[in-house]
Amino acid sequence: MSTDHTGRPESLPSVPSIDDPRPQPPLTEHFNTGTATDPDVGARETSSLTVDGEEVSVDEEATIIDALEEVGADEDLSALCYYDREDTDRIGPRSECRTCMVETDEHGLVPSCSFPAEEGLTVRTDSTEAEEARSVNLDLVLSDHNLRCTTCGKNGRCELQDAAIEADVEVPRYGVFDDRDEYEPIDESSPFIQIDRNKCILCNRCVEACNDVQVEGVLRIEGSGPDTRIGFQNGADEMMDSTCVSCGHCATVCPTGSLVEQDYTDAATIPVPGFTQENSIGETIGEDYDGQPNPATPMKGNQTYEDDALDGEADDD
Amino acid sequence: MVGTEAATTPAIRVAVGSAEHDRANGVLEAAREAATDVHIVETGPTGAAALAPVVLATADDRTAVHANVSPDRARELVETLEAGDVPTDDAHAVAESDEGISMPKTGPLAAGQRHVLARCGWAAPAALDESLAERARDEPEDLFEAVAGAGLLGRGRGDGHTDESIAEGWETARRSDGETVVVVNGNESDPAVGGDRLLLESRPAEVLDGALAVAAAVEATDVVVYLNEDDDLAAQRVREAVENVDAGGTEIDVVAGPDRYIAGEMTMALEAMEGADRLEARLRPPGPSEVGLYGRPTVVHTPRTLAQVRAFAAAPDEFETSAADPGSRLLTVTGDGVTGPTTVELATDTALAEAVADGEEYKMACVGGRFGGITRSLDVPASAPALAGARLGTEGGIELFDGATCALEFAGARAKFAREANCGRCVPCREGSKQLVELLRDVYDGNFQPSELRELSRVVAESSTCEFGQAAPRPVTTAMDAFEREIAAHAEGRCPSGVCTETN
Ligand code: SF4
Ligand code: SF4
Ligand code: SF4
Ligand code: FES
Repeated sequence: MSTDHTGRPESLPSVPSIDDPRPQPPLTEHFNTGTATDPDVGARETSSLTVDGEEVSVDEEATIIDALEEVGADEDLSALCYYDREDTDRIGPRSECRTCMVETDEHGLVPSCSFPAEEGLTVRTDSTEAEEARSVNLDLVLSDHNLRCTTCGKNGRCELQDAAIEADVEVPRYGVFDDRDEYEPIDESSPFIQIDRNKCILCNRCVEACNDVQVEGVLRIEGSGPDTRIGFQNGADEMMDSTCVSCGHCATVCPTGSLVEQDYTDAATIPVPGFTQENSIGETIGEDYDGQPNPATPMKGNQTYEDDALDGEADDD
Repeated sequence: MVGTEAATTPAIRVAVGSAEHDRANGVLEAAREAATDVHIVETGPTGAAALAPVVLATADDRTAVHANVSPDRARELVETLEAGDVPTDDAHAVAESDEGISMPKTGPLAAGQRHVLARCGWAAPAALDESLAERARDEPEDLFEAVAGAGLLGRGRGDGHTDESIAEGWETARRSDGETVVVVNGNESDPAVGGDRLLLESRPAEVLDGALAVAAAVEATDVVVYLNEDDDLAAQRVREAVENVDAGGTEIDVVAGPDRYIAGEMTMALEAMEGADRLEARLRPPGPSEVGLYGRPTVVHTPRTLAQVRAFAAAPDEFETSAADPGSRLLTVTGDGVTGPTTVELATDTALAEAVADGEEYKMACVGGRFGGITRSLDVPASAPALAGARLGTEGGIELFDGATCALEFAGARAKFAREANCGRCVPCREGSKQLVELLRDVYDGNFQPSELRELSRVVAESSTCEFGQAAPRPVTTAMDAFEREIAAHAEGRCPSGVCTETN
């Protein structure tokens, strides 16, 4: 049995004679985002449910978290990976962090960000099991996180930091990711966006912003199990070799210091001389971008260049 | 001859499965060369690898079952039969019957019952006498009502309704928008769980017929059989069966997914079928019965579930429909002291111990496949509620371990498998499995923290997205239930089984 599929598997052959009735925007058809095709998770109709004893009604397409928001019960949940701003219909719910678990009489523990707000549900946010699940899952997120806020470009404007403070995390149960030998090098190759995967919570917002909002098809999720990480659809090792156009949307939606605009990488850090985010990891890739003339990566430029070259060859024949 | 299940007598049947493929093929060739009048039939495996290659010699309503047959012995068997005698000398068993393998009194084929497995090793894989699908196409409501009334439950982790009412899933699919698809999820990569592979290699015609019958009951337009890319024999035999069954206008596709444990999970199976280049579980609800393959309502069943539906339709009176889990369960027994993997069928009110041959000694068993539960006793009925009550898994695998196995080391190995093999999507499973391994490692450093282990296991089981994470902590928690003292001893630097000499 192969369990070590960490590389990029070949595309599997799809079922030959089955119709796909799903509408697909032509541009995104060939994107390999590496993520599952989730069903629409919202409720089918307007419904009313009970949240912590209060009756609430919500609109069609709502998930439980919408009902929690109605009564302010969402205050008690981290709901870390949930994206509740513009573009919400195109970003999430990814429902991966499970720090939004609530108890329902009907289905037991469910993630409120992605569970349909079904008619008649009885929801409780304060059951022991739900509180335990939220707290353990938040600590699990932190266990894989390089928690060095003082040198982080998102210090003070970070959703994970906020969540940890609001949940009164003092000492995370499982510690934090703190093993210099295991850190991934920071990707400094792009003059516009820095990637520090040691801070990534795999919320997938950047991938969706890149593919579904900007329709650029640069970012993807790759690998599996402990090797799951954000990567590039063209298989590049670093951002500068990807097809990135430096629109910055990914960095805007990123809840942590994993994707930061280069201008801000040191903006919020506490100025301890000689101690920066880069040297907190100790390793970076692709630092030499000084002469980069425009926001598009060379790869993006190369695409047309290679196409031209091919055309040229064809002409010669 | 492929048309009907019963061969003209006198006949020699050679059971060929993937586990004994080359040896059994040699026997088959030898038999074919030696035969002039006797009919030679290639059948699928019997389920008892220890006996392979198996040859059945039938004439005059008598069948001699021969085990571990060599090509030379096969020639002799053919010659004896050609001479007009049933070769009973040295037979593993002799049955006064020419209908299926009647049960030997001893050995791996003697355990349990053979209803679902009745024709495994007896009929040509693609042959089918009676079509349930034809009946279901005439009276689709009858099958639906009967299955709903009986409360049949889904079998195996890859089913869309594992341990749940399958008729409810059918109902959901019928209510949902779009053209329904029936998926036969036959991709099981766990070598310790062999029921689906046995059915696909031995009775693909029955599995397909079951799927076509379900397709009629849920008004589906397509059937897709999803296999493991490494199961070549199953793929070949399923394709032969596709040629041989009357699909009645239903489109049938046969596809294969990767040989990875996660590829058997119902939604990752769908992802693989849609050509995803990376496998990841889908969110639910809504589940596949509402939104499945290409967004269409999709009824996902394992071969085991379909064989069960078919066995039920063929003989409803033999099902105890008042039971919480009517019918039978296929269980594959592997491990220490077991000569070859043996897949047997137990009625759900029969104790698991029945599946284990006399004399097979064990210290502990892992029941329920890769993430099964660890137990000292197999005195548990094979029904879904009884297994759940005993905190064991319902995936049909029983792995036996002798005194040289350490419960902690075993639980640790399964936790590591969870850590390496998960799809990577959700935090409780991806990060929780890492911390589970760490907490178990701490035991070797003198720090056994049962309540931390229980807390983490609880959260992983209850907040993970798919059945992988939901089941993953079970070996750890059940090892703590059954072997807490043995685990605690490691914290004092001692492994009672003498396995963990170096603390890892
Ligand atoms: S991303 Fe940066 S600011 Fe946010 S928690 Fe991590 S280290 Fe702190
Ligand atoms: S880089 Fe940021 S937005 Fe992208 S998955 Fe990681 S945490 Fe989420
Ligand atoms: S439970 Fe595990 S395998 Fe399932 S979605 Fe979560 S990470 Fe993936
Ligand atoms: S916010 Fe619901 S799972 Fe992350």
